[in-house]
Amino acid sequence: MSSKPVNKDLIGSLIFLALSIAYGASAQLIPFYPGDEYEPFTARTLPFALSVLGAGLSFSLLISSLKKSREVSLDQPVLKSALGYDWSTVIKLLALMMFYALALKWLGFIIATTVFLLGGYWVLGERRKKVLFGASLPFVVAFWFMLTQLLDIYLAPGQLFSAFGG
Amino acid sequence: MLDGILTGLSTAIMPMNLLMVFVGCFVGTFIGMLPGLGPISAIALMIPITYGLEPSTGIILMAGVYYGAIFGGSTSSILINAPGCSSTVVTAFDGYPMAQKGQAGKALALAAYASFTGGTLSAFFLLVAAPALASVSLSFQSSDYFALMVLGLTAVAAFSGKGQVLKAMLMTVLGLMISTVGTDRSSGVERFTFGSIDLMDGISFLLLAMATFALAEVVMAVLKRDHMKEEENETDTSNLGSMKVTREEVKEVAPTAIRSSVLGFIVGVLPGAGATIAAFLAYGMERNLASVKEKLKFGTGSLRGLVAPEAANNASSSGSFVPLLTLGIPGSGTTAIMLGALIAYGIQPGPRMMVDNPDVFWSVIVSMYFGNIVLLILNLPLIPYISKLLMIPRTVLVPMILFFAITGVYLVSFNTFDIYMMVFFCIAAIGLRMLNFPMAPLLLGFVLGGLMEDNLRRALLISDGSLSFLWERPITAGIMAVTIIVLIAPIAQNFLQKQRSQKEAMTGSSRS
Repeated sequence: MSSKPVNKDLIGSLIFLALSIAYGASAQLIPFYPGDEYEPFTARTLPFALSVLGAGLSFSLLISSLKKSREVSLDQPVLKSALGYDWSTVIKLLALMMFYALALKWLGFIIATTVFLLGGYWVLGERRKKVLFGASLPFVVAFWFMLTQLLDIYLAPGQLFSAFGG
Repeated sequence: MLDGILTGLSTAIMPMNLLMVFVGCFVGTFIGMLPGLGPISAIALMIPITYGLEPSTGIILMAGVYYGAIFGGSTSSILINAPGCSSTVVTAFDGYPMAQKGQAGKALALAAYASFTGGTLSAFFLLVAAPALASVSLSFQSSDYFALMVLGLTAVAAFSGKGQVLKAMLMTVLGLMISTVGTDRSSGVERFTFGSIDLMDGISFLLLAMATFALAEVVMAVLKRDHMKEEENETDTSNLGSMKVTREEVKEVAPTAIRSSVLGFIVGVLPGAGATIAAFLAYGMERNLASVKEKLKFGTGSLRGLVAPEAANNASSSGSFVPLLTLGIPGSGTTAIMLGALIAYGIQPGPRMMVDNPDVFWSVIVSMYFGNIVLLILNLPLIPYISKLLMIPRTVLVPMILFFAITGVYLVSFNTFDIYMMVFFCIAAIGLRMLNFPMAPLLLGFVLGGLMEDNLRRALLISDGSLSFLWERPITAGIMAVTIIVLIAPIAQNFLQKQRSQKEAMTGSSRS
């Protein structure tokens, strides 16, 4: 007898169940002032209600997914369908976004954005130098000019430059 | 009402506002054309720009983007069989076969005329319905509002399709949970901040919208890149054919457009139903009304099959403004984003909006007419040129969209922590999308979370902690009754269907 593949609803319900329980447990950390016990509504009321509601709904989804998987063979195994996707590019893009946040703080808008765009084009497979450089630095400078000179938005220089500049 | 219309007209015809209608429709058409990016992403991307504008101008711009995005979605449905948003999926059923027969121009023109009919008729209905409903809802109290919000959130889940009800409800609850992060507005107590200063103000709705829609939709498109490449190969926008529509064709589709507009508007007004359901219903209705011979044409390039969903989805877009403007309750993800933007402006949509901010209220309604005219007169002739933008390589377009989404959030807070949070929510959204969880209820729950808690608190305080406020007032009790019906309907339908199929199986086996 072959085991049935884990279906998406089952995974989803377990995630939400765990999340609801964790949320409810964290709601205990919300400060409770003296006298709050006599109040009909406190800062904890809605979080507790949501935690119970979330757990109840996830449990219902869990039951229905188990019932369904017994009745019919459901969708493709999650792992098998997910493996066909272009994960490496997506992971690189997400890492690039994290780097962008870091670079914005330390290197400032122009350098960080130019590197981000260049990196993005490269990660997605763009190799033409004309496109790589033409659609990054000139665009960023024009955008920076629009923000700082036309819209009068202050963009702080990177902390690295501020440190060197005193 | 005439005073209001004149106020709206004078605001809407201001050069800046007219320019915004044009810009909104144009940008919306372009973003809506990009497969995968729908109106929610289009509006989210425009929000940072609107912060520098007057409230009425900002909302007019967003409304323009909304119709533009739906129109743009139809264009990519017809030209490349890749719907820009879910509400234009049905358009591809007959629009794409027409394009394959060399009638892309005619299909685009018919889609534009149908959208114009749907948009114009529904803007008229909105003009009548919104003030009437707003005057009724002036007598609403906090318990009624709480009940309405529960109804709105429940309806979104109930209309989300077979097998999706529980998932949509869970996403709504998740949205409500996220809305509780930050300092509690009433007691000043910190909730779920875990000592982080960056979380004290809560999570911005713009951040959540950008991360779960604009970012996640683009990243999902990259994730399924092989599929995208196939679509790109099919793209041929160089020859659209004639855009002329004959008198006979107009005669054939005119009743369809009117019927579908009325249906679309009604569906749009219902909280949670939205443009996608309106388009599917209109298509189904038209197919049922068609003769046997005509029925066979559906799916192979039927004019009625193209016009019905187009008129309905545009009418539904205007219809969804009714609960937003009069009750302050968004009926869809798109109007939820607009509600967030209005709140950011310090405007509270609802019955008082017509009294407190008549310029915003009426100018949005009046600008809908202009928006539809812009789409018809300016966008239609520009389609061959706008569709050329689809030729921009994805390798350039994707990082640009990511950049605009990230910068849009960063330029509001100037806090790089927000970018990390965006990445976090984007990853979570990708996971949830892969597990087939709908995203719009999350946004709706998040936007309504704060308002719902305020109204629940007030109602409970008034009733001295008793839940009797839910049935003491006839309005609240009525709304709660509708909520229960909406909640039970899909379960009952499911049960009846099962019973029927069991009966059929039994009679089948007894015959054999």
